[in-house]
Amino acid sequence: MDKIDLFKLHKADYIAPKNPQVCQVTSACYLAINGIGGPGEDDFNDAVAALYAVAYTVKMTRKKQALGDYVICKLEARYWTEEKKCLTDVDKSQWHWQLMIRTPAIVEVSDIAQATKVLTDKGKTKSVNKVKLIEHEFSHCIQVLHVGPYEEEGSTIAKMAAYAKDQQLVSTGEHCEIYISDPRRIPAERLKTILRMPLSNSLDS
Amino acid sequence: MGKLAVQIKKMRKTTQQSYITRMVNVVNYIQQNLDNELTIAVLAEQANFSSYHFHRIFSGMLGESVKELIRRLRLERAALQLKTSNDSILTISLAAGYESDMAFSRAFKARAGVVPSKFRKSEQASFPCLSRSSVRYVTNEHISSFEPFIDKELNMNVMIKQVDNMLVACVSHQGPYQECGHAWDTLFSTLAPEGLLGGDAKMIGVSYDDPDVVAPELLRYEACISVEQEFSPTHSTNLKNVNFKTITGGCYAVTTHIGPYEKLNETYQKLFGQWLSQSDYESVDKPCFEVYLNDPESTEPEDLITDIYLPLRDQAHG
Repeated sequence: MDKIDLFKLHKADYIAPKNPQVCQVTSACYLAINGIGGPGEDDFNDAVAALYAVAYTVKMTRKKQALGDYVICKLEARYWTEEKKCLTDVDKSQWHWQLMIRTPAIVEVSDIAQATKVLTDKGKTKSVNKVKLIEHEFSHCIQVLHVGPYEEEGSTIAKMAAYAKDQQLVSTGEHCEIYISDPRRIPAERLKTILRMPLSNSLDS
Repeated sequence: MGKLAVQIKKMRKTTQQSYITRMVNVVNYIQQNLDNELTIAVLAEQANFSSYHFHRIFSGMLGESVKELIRRLRLERAALQLKTSNDSILTISLAAGYESDMAFSRAFKARAGVVPSKFRKSEQASFPCLSRSSVRYVTNEHISSFEPFIDKELNMNVMIKQVDNMLVACVSHQGPYQECGHAWDTLFSTLAPEGLLGGDAKMIGVSYDDPDVVAPELLRYEACISVEQEFSPTHSTNLKNVNFKTITGGCYAVTTHIGPYEKLNETYQKLFGQWLSQSDYESVDKPCFEVYLNDPESTEPEDLITDIYLPLRDQAHG
């Protein structure tokens, strides 16, 4: 049986051009967990661990039951603020985030419930019970590849904003990232991150 | 440079010298016993190395495996015999460990550039330089020292860590290391329904054998995931392939390998041949283990990160 690799199957959703480019991201299923606070802080890290724990438990349990195998996708994150303010104008402690891992549509809510239950029984990872299965459509977006430390995304974001202005596109105010590299070991200057700016209007509308 | 730094440098030099001195004994023993069967255990004994990791230290320092060195030294001896004796090429071939003069001729040409008969007749043909290693076949003399294969600036990050005993669930695999995937499948699919893939469960691989010495089909490997306690499965039908064991703690040298798993062996060689032989540490008769820090399914091979743990003799370091 072939392994499903959504990242490869939906290459168009993960284009990572050097210069900002418009793309259309289709509706998809994700394992997701929400929270508030700065990336890299305890709550955030705990959420990442919980999300991966559920993701692998679901994948491997389904594999064991011969329900098909798939690759665990890269971690994605959406960031926004309460009053749709610019993220840089708001203290990190007030950032809202949703961490997501794209998951094949064949995965069911009952799989998540079962995984959450066994993980909670072992009591190893807090917040596994906050992980849920959602469907989300990013729709029209601007995407660009950022290479370097997360702290230096500013200039790349500015490039996206300039491109949006030039093309008369309007951001929804949300900022999204897809983490291609592993920040635990890849040196910060080599980290690859896809930055995604969802749009409230599109080129053809 | 501070006094301490000078002292440390001196100490380093001494230990490195002692690794070299010990390895010289091994090389001399090989030279003197080229026609005998040379086992790893016997060779390790010559230099008071523990036999478990001896071969990795050897190939790391010499730049070739024991087998390769013996084959090369026999070829070099054959070259000398071609020039200095009247023995037939067949006799020389057999003495060099080849089954026929044809096979010898091929091997000789491949490394020396000319066939043995031509080499014998030619006045100009220089002795073949068969290796980058500084160890050459010699007669009536001993080698007293050699340049380690890798003697550049030590550009390897190694940390000394004190590791606690670790209880793991594991599945054994025998065969080429690249084929250990099925052991991982068994382990993951047994542990997942138990809720044991959460927390800080570590993925650990224990490689028992050096692929340069042991045939691929005999390589022993264990896929391990750290667990807090032994369990009997409530969600799986059987546990027959899953065992529990303790990876013994102690002092370990840890280095990080970044890149495909196929190239782990290169980092092992560097760790043993370059780092260990220049350090003040001794390895002990325990297998190394590897901790895998990312998912090979969703990570490009060149981005894979693996920590290699090399067990060291505990020492009070003053």
